[in-house]
Amino acid sequence: MIRRLVLWLDDRLGAASFARKALRKAFPDHWAFMLGEVALYAYIALLVTGVFLTFFFTASGQDVVYQGSYAPLRGERMPAAYASVLRLSFDIGAGLVMRQMHHWAALVFVAAIAAHAVRVFFTGAFRRPREINWLIGTGLLLLAMAAGFTGYSLPDDLLSGTGIRIAYSVLLSIPVVGTWAAFLFFGGEFPAPITIGRLLALHIMLLQGLLLAALGLHLAIIWHQKHTQFRAPGRTENTVVGSPLWPNYAMKSAGLGLAVFAVLAALGGLFQINPVWLYGPYDPTTVSSPAQPDWYIGWLEGALRLMPNWELRGFGHTIPEPFFPGVLVPGLLITIYALWPFIEQRVTGNREVHHFLDRARDAPRRSGVGAGALTFMVLLTLAGSNDVMARFFGVPVETVTRLLRGVVLIAPLVAGWVTYVVCRELKAAEGHSGAAWHLVRRGPGGGYVAEDKET
Amino acid sequence: MRPVERPIAAMLVLSICGSLALAAVYAAGGQPQLEGVLLAVSLGALGAAVIAWALRLLPQESVTDVREPEPSPPAVRAAATSALERGEEQLTGRRTLGRLLLGALAALVLVVFFPIRSLGPRPGRSMFHTEWQPGTYVIDGSGRRVRDGQLAVDSVITVFPEGHGGSPVSQALLIRIDPALLRLPPGRETWAPNGHVAFSKICTHAGCPVGLYRAAAHQLLCPCHQSTFDVTLGAAPIFGPTTRALPQLPLRIDADGYLRATGDFSAPVGPGFWELS
Amino acid sequence: MSPRAVTVAAVMLVVGAALMTAARSRAQTPPPPSPASASSAEVRRGADLYALHCASCHGAAAQGTADGAPVLGAGAAALDFVLSTGRMPLADPRQPMVRHRSEWSRRDIDAIVAFVVSLAPGGPPIPAVHPEGGDLAHGRQIFAANCAPCHGTAGQGAAVGEGADAPDLHDARPVEIAEAVRIGPDPMPAFDAAIIGQHDLDSLVRYVVFLRTPPDPGGFALGHLGPVAEGFIAWCVGFAGLVVIIRLIGTTT
Repeated sequence: MIRRLVLWLDDRLGAASFARKALRKAFPDHWAFMLGEVALYAYIALLVTGVFLTFFFTASGQDVVYQGSYAPLRGERMPAAYASVLRLSFDIGAGLVMRQMHHWAALVFVAAIAAHAVRVFFTGAFRRPREINWLIGTGLLLLAMAAGFTGYSLPDDLLSGTGIRIAYSVLLSIPVVGTWAAFLFFGGEFPAPITIGRLLALHIMLLQGLLLAALGLHLAIIWHQKHTQFRAPGRTENTVVGSPLWPNYAMKSAGLGLAVFAVLAALGGLFQINPVWLYGPYDPTTVSSPAQPDWYIGWLEGALRLMPNWELRGFGHTIPEPFFPGVLVPGLLITIYALWPFIEQRVTGNREVHHFLDRARDAPRRSGVGAGALTFMVLLTLAGSNDVMARFFGVPVETVTRLLRGVVLIAPLVAGWVTYVVCRELKAAEGHSGAAWHLVRRGPGGGYVAEDKET
Repeated sequence: MRPVERPIAAMLVLSICGSLALAAVYAAGGQPQLEGVLLAVSLGALGAAVIAWALRLLPQESVTDVREPEPSPPAVRAAATSALERGEEQLTGRRTLGRLLLGALAALVLVVFFPIRSLGPRPGRSMFHTEWQPGTYVIDGSGRRVRDGQLAVDSVITVFPEGHGGSPVSQALLIRIDPALLRLPPGRETWAPNGHVAFSKICTHAGCPVGLYRAAAHQLLCPCHQSTFDVTLGAAPIFGPTTRALPQLPLRIDADGYLRATGDFSAPVGPGFWELS
Repeated sequence: MSPRAVTVAAVMLVVGAALMTAARSRAQTPPPPSPASASSAEVRRGADLYALHCASCHGAAAQGTADGAPVLGAGAAALDFVLSTGRMPLADPRQPMVRHRSEWSRRDIDAIVAFVVSLAPGGPPIPAVHPEGGDLAHGRQIFAANCAPCHGTAGQGAAVGEGADAPDLHDARPVEIAEAVRIGPDPMPAFDAAIIGQHDLDSLVRYVVFLRTPPDPGGFALGHLGPVAEGFIAWCVGFAGLVVIIRLIGTTT
């Protein structure tokens, strides 16, 4: 029956010639290559559950009086958006599970992207010819974070509303254009009633359109360039070895997809997430403790908490303090991250094509930088929960903050240095039978000279 | 059924059971934990079966693809470049027209600007004023005017200007404190009648309401990033990322004993921005 | 069994039950009775207890010492609160007061309160509170505006800076909640009747009691800590589980 379908398609689209090669395409099987797939399936789960949620969500900041089944909020005035989320959670069959699956999927989605990006970084998979995909991947990471932030702010509850207020203030802190940027983006001085509708448009339309387009390009480039792989006996730079797409790899991938959905379903049913009925509707005159964003925004929150009270003032103007931890430093970090393939090429002078992956030890300097950067990001994320940690360890929160200010600058340097030294030693210990590669040049006298290049 | 197939069969049966049980639970009125777990069982068992099938039942084969170098052959590259150049010549050859074309495209950027400008109102002077005026009555969250003596020492309530109850931008904290402890900035000697001080509740760091009051220490704490303000010093910052004190609202007690403002806050409220001097 | 054995067993059951009930009620320190005038016997008993347990830090005449604040004129509510919640006696005066299982019996607490109040009247009296007469939704609003910033949206407690802690409210009994609201035990501010009236107080206490067992229909509540706990679970349960799965599916070469 499938054969008849393929032939039917071939009559109209010439599908057979594509199918002939595609179905036998080699897909390397290393487990670390599946991290991106986990992200992909988490995204599919987000799309499916998300469509369901849009059928019940009211994107309006207009006040209504709640008369639903959650007693402590009955009779209270609240935005229609918030009331619609309460209705979905308490009065719609499987509504709460779908909502929770969607939110857990978002957390796991960004976690998988981050892990995948770390894998790509430490194995040097971003090297030529894959720089474009690294840039697209950076975009995907940022889009995923933006989608998550706009998404969990849709219910207009007290916790996410506080986050929106902070985002507005960070936008406000930009020199010269800050007030304009904040007023235009949010639709007026905070809190503007139009903001919720705008967040919805971003979340379900603009960001998803960009995500899908970028994702499609990302996969198409991988398909075309073929996947990288680790060195092993019998493999060369010019071949790629793996399972055939059909039926082996397709079945494994489908099974993984089902497993991802299963894990998200289990999380969605067993672990309560974002209980907006406890937070109450957003009220700009009150706040709750503890107040944190979702984990992937934690590094920005930590930066805002750790930054000392330094501000620039003069000539009738102010560059307010939140600009530095909220815009300048993240902007620099993201820029360096996005341009890393080109930075590395310039520093090492290595602009050759690479299809083999490095192990961490094969590139001690890169691994050192990566370890330092990762340490920095993890510490900033932890700093975002400084008050929770303070209570847990029975230490004043001021002490945690002061301690982390120092640690966040010193620990990455230490971690980076240690990683560099360890990698260098491991690499030296296995001698030149390791992953060093050789560049063969024609020498001045006409003969050939081989150079060892460290990556 | 061969022995190797049996575990896979069992997983598929488990998946079917999960799906049927989920349908039953939903029909019976639903229960989130059961719904989640049963869905996980039906999907997970199916996934496990498919994976086990792929790893155990399918012949494990390995295919090898040859990577072609990305750059096209030189002849193809030359043909592509000359095809491009043919178009370029047109633009660069006719100079005046080419420049005018670029000019028209640049002017189009102006047109794109208009929908973006329509997204929101101009910031204007609204950042510098709140709804507090000289003589405005201080009201509490229920809309009642606040009298002298209503608030006990070391108590705190959130207040608003009369007529603007709940106003996000004008929200203020009214604290009663022992007057002997106050060391307000110069010029504010009359701002705190009978130990009543009022400050903007909007944190000057990133705008969260400063909701925590450590009464005995007379310190306000913002839970978002732990900016801390000393009430006795006019809500001056003593810890945390904030750089400015909470703006103070000047108060007086009128002849009937009601608290009233004598003007707007001492500074623009909320976080800093470029135009703030 | 012989009739005699049955009788003995029955008596033992009854006595055992009575003892257990007494022990339980002693351990739970039942709420104070409505305010009544103290007898001089009670005041004398209180004086003895005070001299034994309190005077070393708070002074023989409740005037305070270097180790303990004056409690003269503190009022019945404050005294009853710190004794009922086991905050006092405090072994180390430099440590903050935290909730403990109270060692005191209701009689003893009433006696000490009566004694200190007899030294100097004044201060908030033990508030009357009737949570069943309160409105749950109204209580939620008051809680969100006044209490959640420090105590957390589900009353789970939070750090409030300088090592101070706004405690978890789940063990607090209605009278204790009302007392804390009225007196504002350090570092908490006080909310008297002009800010939180009687109906407000009844409603607030009703909501706080509701928070002991919130519905939590979504599953494990993770301590109601919010995104911090949720992020932890996403990585350590969700993502970790998926890593286990992909290691099973994929190869290591």
